[in-house]
Amino acid sequence: MTMDATSSVCNLAILESLDENLIGEILESWNGFCFTTESLLKGNGDLSFGSEFESHAQTLCKHGLESLVQEHFLRSLENTFEKNGASKFWRHFDPYSNVAVLDIDKDPIDEVEVQHVLCKALEELSLEKEYQEKYLLMLVHALQSFKDKESEGRQSSEAERVRLFSKYQLIMASVLMATLPRHFPDVLHWYFKGKLEELSSIMSRVCEDDNESQDKDDMDLDERSKLPCRTGDMDIDGCHHQRRFLENHKLVKNIGMVVRDLRSLGFTSMAEDAYASAIFMLLKAKVHDLAGDDFRSSVLESIKGWIQAVPLQFLYALLAYLGDSVNYDSPLSGLRSPLASYPSSCYPGMGVPSEGLVRWQLRLEYFAYETLQDLRIAKLFEIVVDYPDSSPAIEDLKQCLEYTGQHSKLVDSFISALRYRLLTAGASTYDILHQYISTIKALRTIDPAGIFLEAVGEPIREYLKGRKDTIKCIVTMLTDGTSGDPNGAGSTGDSLLEELNREEENQENTDDDDINTDDKQAWINAQRWEPDPAEADPLKGSRHRRKVDILGMIVGIIGSKDQLVNEYRVMLAEKLLNKSDYDIDSEIRTLELLKIHFGESSMQRCEIMLNDLIDSKRTNTNIKATINQPSQSGAELRDQGVSLDILNATIISSNFWPPIQDEALNIPGPMEQLLSDYGKRFTEIKTPRKLLWKKSLGTVKLELQFEDRALQFTVTPIHASIIMQFQDQPSWTSKNLAAAIGIPVDVLNRRIIFWISKGILADSLGVDTNDHTYTMVDAMVDAGKTGVNSGSCEELLVGDEDGERSVASVEDQLRKEMTVYEKFITGMLTNFGSTALDRIHNTLKMFCVADPPYDKSLQQLQSFLSGLVAEEKLELRDGMYILKKS
Amino acid sequence: MIYYLFDIPFSLLGNQFSLNLLSCQLLLDQLTEWHAVASWTWDAQDETCGICRMAFDGCCPDCKLPGDDCPLIWGACNHAFHLHCILKWVNSQTPQAHCPMCRREWQFKG
Ligand SMILES: [Zn+2]
Ligand SMILES: [Zn+2]
Ligand SMILES: [Zn+2]
Repeated sequence: MTMDATSSVCNLAILESLDENLIGEILESWNGFCFTTESLLKGNGDLSFGSEFESHAQTLCKHGLESLVQEHFLRSLENTFEKNGASKFWRHFDPYSNVAVLDIDKDPIDEVEVQHVLCKALEELSLEKEYQEKYLLMLVHALQSFKDKESEGRQSSEAERVRLFSKYQLIMASVLMATLPRHFPDVLHWYFKGKLEELSSIMSRVCEDDNESQDKDDMDLDERSKLPCRTGDMDIDGCHHQRRFLENHKLVKNIGMVVRDLRSLGFTSMAEDAYASAIFMLLKAKVHDLAGDDFRSSVLESIKGWIQAVPLQFLYALLAYLGDSVNYDSPLSGLRSPLASYPSSCYPGMGVPSEGLVRWQLRLEYFAYETLQDLRIAKLFEIVVDYPDSSPAIEDLKQCLEYTGQHSKLVDSFISALRYRLLTAGASTYDILHQYISTIKALRTIDPAGIFLEAVGEPIREYLKGRKDTIKCIVTMLTDGTSGDPNGAGSTGDSLLEELNREEENQENTDDDDINTDDKQAWINAQRWEPDPAEADPLKGSRHRRKVDILGMIVGIIGSKDQLVNEYRVMLAEKLLNKSDYDIDSEIRTLELLKIHFGESSMQRCEIMLNDLIDSKRTNTNIKATINQPSQSGAELRDQGVSLDILNATIISSNFWPPIQDEALNIPGPMEQLLSDYGKRFTEIKTPRKLLWKKSLGTVKLELQFEDRALQFTVTPIHASIIMQFQDQPSWTSKNLAAAIGIPVDVLNRRIIFWISKGILADSLGVDTNDHTYTMVDAMVDAGKTGVNSGSCEELLVGDEDGERSVASVEDQLRKEMTVYEKFITGMLTNFGSTALDRIHNTLKMFCVADPPYDKSLQQLQSFLSGLVAEEKLELRDGMYILKKS
Repeated sequence: MIYYLFDIPFSLLGNQFSLNLLSCQLLLDQLTEWHAVASWTWDAQDETCGICRMAFDGCCPDCKLPGDDCPLIWGACNHAFHLHCILKWVNSQTPQAHCPMCRREWQFKG
């Protein structure tokens, strides 16, 4: 409360010229003034002291004590306001003082009650303020009539009025501020929250109505167009919109009044904070509600729509309402809100609210983007698992990130999700690879340049490098669409290579301009978040520069394409050797695709392998059509039910195939005879070439006939040879059987498990504990055991089932070649302690220059070392290899 | 299942041995296919071609496919070469070519 400088100077001059009479008069007037003031303020609208009050005030003014009169009156108002207004006002909110300390989000408050209490409190306070303003106006009148007598200008007295009222406003606001309880902002928050929710539900109802009427409109369209005049319809529409407007307007007006009251009490920013926080909370809830865990539809547009429909509409109405009010408000109008005499409005004109509204829109949308983005990032792992069904969610996330630029959040969160949920011992290599590929596919939408995909992929790649079956899984996934995924999830029967190829073709067909803009966008984005100088070099800016190369990223795990091709060759060999038909259409297709990506020369050997199959088919037909008609043995064979019809052969150019694991085997005599006939005929046709049979390789289809059913099997020649020995003799010791078939006993014991597991043979230990006796299981027991299967069934024996393969795996080959260095590595680790992969590699390169020279790649060494780790010879700790202490 | 075990086997018990015999005799009749694997090789004395030093079972440097597409040929001296290799050699040695191995006058074996 500052004193007016000029009036205090006046006072001093007057005081000097006072005589006793005057002092008596002044004292009397002062006492009278004080008394009437007190009576007025206590009187609650009783104005009977009015004239007395006025004359005392004027007397005092006459003596130049105008400022004293004002000061005293204002102070009295302040005291009264503090007692009757403020403290009573706050008391309304006492019940919420304890709840307020609780978490707001829990929201244990009855919002309707809060609304009621707040309105009632504001009403009471406004009544009090109304009275006080009336008294203040009386003082103003008193002073004014005094000044009129002194013939001062009316203008200055109007200014005086404004000054006094604003002073009063300030006093009142300070009193409220000084006594503000801590929980009041929370009360406001609940109030606005409740009101906004009300508004939101009204709006959603209106939207539904709109949709309904929309439907109706569509239906009526034909009939309506026949009508010459459409005013009727227009009216209905108009009414509808008016109703909606009124309904909202009433609610908004209600809120607007509260806001205006709060502003007039000096709570402008507190009110704004309260409705802002309520709006944001509601928006957050809305985003969570709309987004949920459904990744298969885009929600961004409906969120934006909701922002337009609810909070922005509310703010528009509110700002417009508050802005308009300036025009028709007079201090005592009291019609709308008596407290709102001097709104400190920041939106005086209509143009300004729209600018404020734009700011609000930006704020709200940013908040929505960020909320949705955080929500999606937290669930990115699931979203990627669900890809491509989840691509709408990815598209939303992309837009959010473009707006917020918080890509690093995604990278950090996703990497930790990967570490926690995917890169664990329990996850199969196939699962990890699938997730890796889904990750690439999903994230390249967001990140066409693949810059932070690089960061996200890094831990997956590192983890996969430590797994032994990674290469095999990768090659299988790339080339085999049917058995690539043992879980069957996401396998469409298409190999990954097939899929990538189709994708590429589609891309080539799309407009070049599209690609350009894509790239441009990629470049812009790349600059916006994590500029990587090495990668984002604009000089490298060819058109295809920044496409995410899925194949490249997968080959990157393996290390080199040569390793991939090698692995494929082994797998192809295995597959071809197990074929009993010559159908290689899908292998040819795969080879063509591999040639596109890895070059023709890399695939040369595989091409020859496939060519062998084609040649074999031709030669096979040829031989069987022209073979010399029945030799004596032929007739003999037919007696035994074996004819050349059952023999087919795959003839390979062994120089171009991976090392074949052929074991010696005595196949049944008649078969042996057939092979020799076949070989002779081959030499006749292809002289001077001859055949070298690999008797343990190939497939045999046979049928075991029992009384009530036939069982069909597809087995290896060893299995066939074993079971066929039992036709002459129903029981064999393992030693004798092994000798008859010409294979080692341990191999026999391992292979025969197949027949035992099928219930065809039984294993009983003989007198000699080292010797097993195998007996044909009789039909009766067998029928009881697998009675459900009775009838015919086909049993298929795949190569891996018992871990026997026709082709030496790449690992086996490598292992054989690397064993030479095992001693050296052990010695190195003994001397050096823990040693990193690089160092082992370099040391080997340096010292093993002969006998044989060390020529392996880092990846090959790593794969060999991880084998030693698996055998528990070494240990891998923090990227360092150490000897395992036994 | 239990009924099945009790009811049926009893009647079959006496025939157990003959049943086995039956199934065994049918075994070979029911061998429906034997798909064998062989590798081919040239019936030559050497392993590699004396001209290109590549394996006979491989192919000459000009060929992509071994076997029929890149055959071997024998000279009267009984030395074998890739057909393509010896043809090139013979064409470069005018008027008379000699076997690169034994220096005898080159004649294709009839
Ligand atoms: Zn040659
Ligand atoms: Zn050739
Ligand atoms: Zn010669």
